[in-house]
Amino acid sequence: MASMKRYFVVRFVQTFVVLWLVLTGLFLLFRLMPGDFTAQMAVAGASPEALEEIRDQWGLNDPLYVQYWSYLVNFVQLDMGESAIYRQDVWQLTKMRIFNTFILVAPAITLTYVLGSVIGTVAGRKRGTNLEKFGIVPVIAAGSFPSFFIAIVFIIVFASWMGLFPTSGMLSPGVSGEYDTWWGPYLSGNFAHHYVLPFAAVICRYLFIPSMIMRTSVIEVMDKGHTQYHRLTGLSSVQRFRHTAKHASLPLITLYPVSMARALGGLVLIETVFNWPGIGWLLVESVLGRDYPVVQFVFFIVAAFVIISNFVVDLVYGTIDPRIRVEE
Amino acid sequence: MRVGTKRMISKHRIQSLRPYQMVAENHILRNFLTALRKMLDDRTTSFYFAILLVIVVMGLFGPMLAPHDVNATHYDDNGDILRAEAPSVDHPLGTTHAGYDVFSRILVGARPTVLTGLIGGGMILSIGTAVGVTAGYVGGKTETVLMRFTDFVYGVPLIPFAIVLITFMGVGFLSSALVIGLILWRGAARVIRAQTMQVKQYPFVKVAKASGASTPRIIFKHILPNVAPMAIFFLAMGVGYAIILQAGLTFLGVADPFVPSWGVMIRNAFDSGYMATAPWWSLTPGLLIGITVLSTFMFGRGYEDLIDEDAESVDAEAVSA
Repeated sequence: MASMKRYFVVRFVQTFVVLWLVLTGLFLLFRLMPGDFTAQMAVAGASPEALEEIRDQWGLNDPLYVQYWSYLVNFVQLDMGESAIYRQDVWQLTKMRIFNTFILVAPAITLTYVLGSVIGTVAGRKRGTNLEKFGIVPVIAAGSFPSFFIAIVFIIVFASWMGLFPTSGMLSPGVSGEYDTWWGPYLSGNFAHHYVLPFAAVICRYLFIPSMIMRTSVIEVMDKGHTQYHRLTGLSSVQRFRHTAKHASLPLITLYPVSMARALGGLVLIETVFNWPGIGWLLVESVLGRDYPVVQFVFFIVAAFVIISNFVVDLVYGTIDPRIRVEE
Repeated sequence: MRVGTKRMISKHRIQSLRPYQMVAENHILRNFLTALRKMLDDRTTSFYFAILLVIVVMGLFGPMLAPHDVNATHYDDNGDILRAEAPSVDHPLGTTHAGYDVFSRILVGARPTVLTGLIGGGMILSIGTAVGVTAGYVGGKTETVLMRFTDFVYGVPLIPFAIVLITFMGVGFLSSALVIGLILWRGAARVIRAQTMQVKQYPFVKVAKASGASTPRIIFKHILPNVAPMAIFFLAMGVGYAIILQAGLTFLGVADPFVPSWGVMIRNAFDSGYMATAPWWSLTPGLLIGITVLSTFMFGRGYEDLIDEDAESVDAEAVSA
């Protein structure tokens, strides 16, 4: 158990260091970016003296290490500055967006893992048959088409031609004022109506990954001695299937949180097509609008999701499989 | 010893009659082509290879075959602009909302798309091989540093990072293709390192080392030729990843909108509001991208069948674009 504790501490420190490295990297990247936000004010016609005053006030003339220190202090206090486009506190602006993305990603990715493990198991068990050979093609095809294209096809067919669903947004314009609680809109029928198409697009697009991983994993487990042994002892195919699935789902379980974290950042395209007010759409908008405080924070959030979920996975995996530990 | 040498020479002569043996001197290329030839024995694999060839030919000659100027607005007999006109003999794939000929744009757009694939795929392959072979063969501290770096690149969220990096490097066609290569080499590096470590254990490498061959010589004469067949797989997958990702980045507006690639076409159709009224315009480029990427992935599977195991290098994030 002592080694387990040690493993935990080592991984925790590593995660912390990586997060700090990302923060520092972002700081440097955005200081290296040509021009700060005063450049836009200069274009807008502010006088050089006024600009200099603002630069002083915002600490842009301080030496880099002073800026860096106040950057870290502000970050810990959740003070991420103000968005240049929305004129709003960055944290206030992003927190609802993070939730919007999460509510789209979490159920959809969970469902792809459930469906994908079934498809993968079938494909793995029937390896080499025509069912696998041709059945896998649609799954790979769904993984080959760009996600925004799948989203566009859904919009064209189900929204424009059939008129079943709205083409974009999360709520119909004007209804958001009708709710007095922040979670009220998420329970409404209006939200559900807008939710269907993006949800379907995410599932269609991400089904590929768990299916392929499960397929590989099932093939691997089927070659193992214990599967052959169960066969020899005359275990029924249903019971054998349960054994296989239990072993084979291990990589899937460990990949699930990582997939979720990556999808939070990777949903940029589907969010853009559907105008879903999530974190990915916000990122694109602020990059194109040079809204650096927002870009900086959103990027950090996305990276932190991936890093922290990797940490959690390593811990879980270290518990399940003691062979996998941090290399000394 | 002598007999052995003689036999090797005569075997070499027989083989040299085959066309792919024209490059017999270059062992890396020879092994690459041998593996390719074996893969093409499979009918399904050669079918997807044929599709890829067609796409490449489109990229080479497309702009010359285009019947109309891509930026020419077409008018009907009354002098009105042909807006979102359905496919006809004159315009086999209809027109856009601005009266441009879709068929010509598809043909011209093939070139940047193919080019992206080749630049991206080539970079994934070359950086991945360089890192993988160095880490696998040299080992020690070099390996630790290189593989930790690879792990770090794995931790980078792909699309957000690409967007930030492109805004930093300047929005353009080339930069978007380069950024893809700069991130996605990670999968290739891992697998090629594993393969290199395996080859390193073979007696001929040990013999070469014992007889005083230099590290570069061993790498180029012994390691690389044995890693070469894998290059087909990574090139195929890399081309697929690069095309799909670049389409995504283009769609987001962080690539050059004036290079009329297929991704730009989808973006234009999306922006125009004619998406549903002119499906021949909004759907064709996406279908072509999908078919191209599907062919590269299925072709890559041909390699997995050849070595009869899964190369396990699906870059889960790359296919999420």
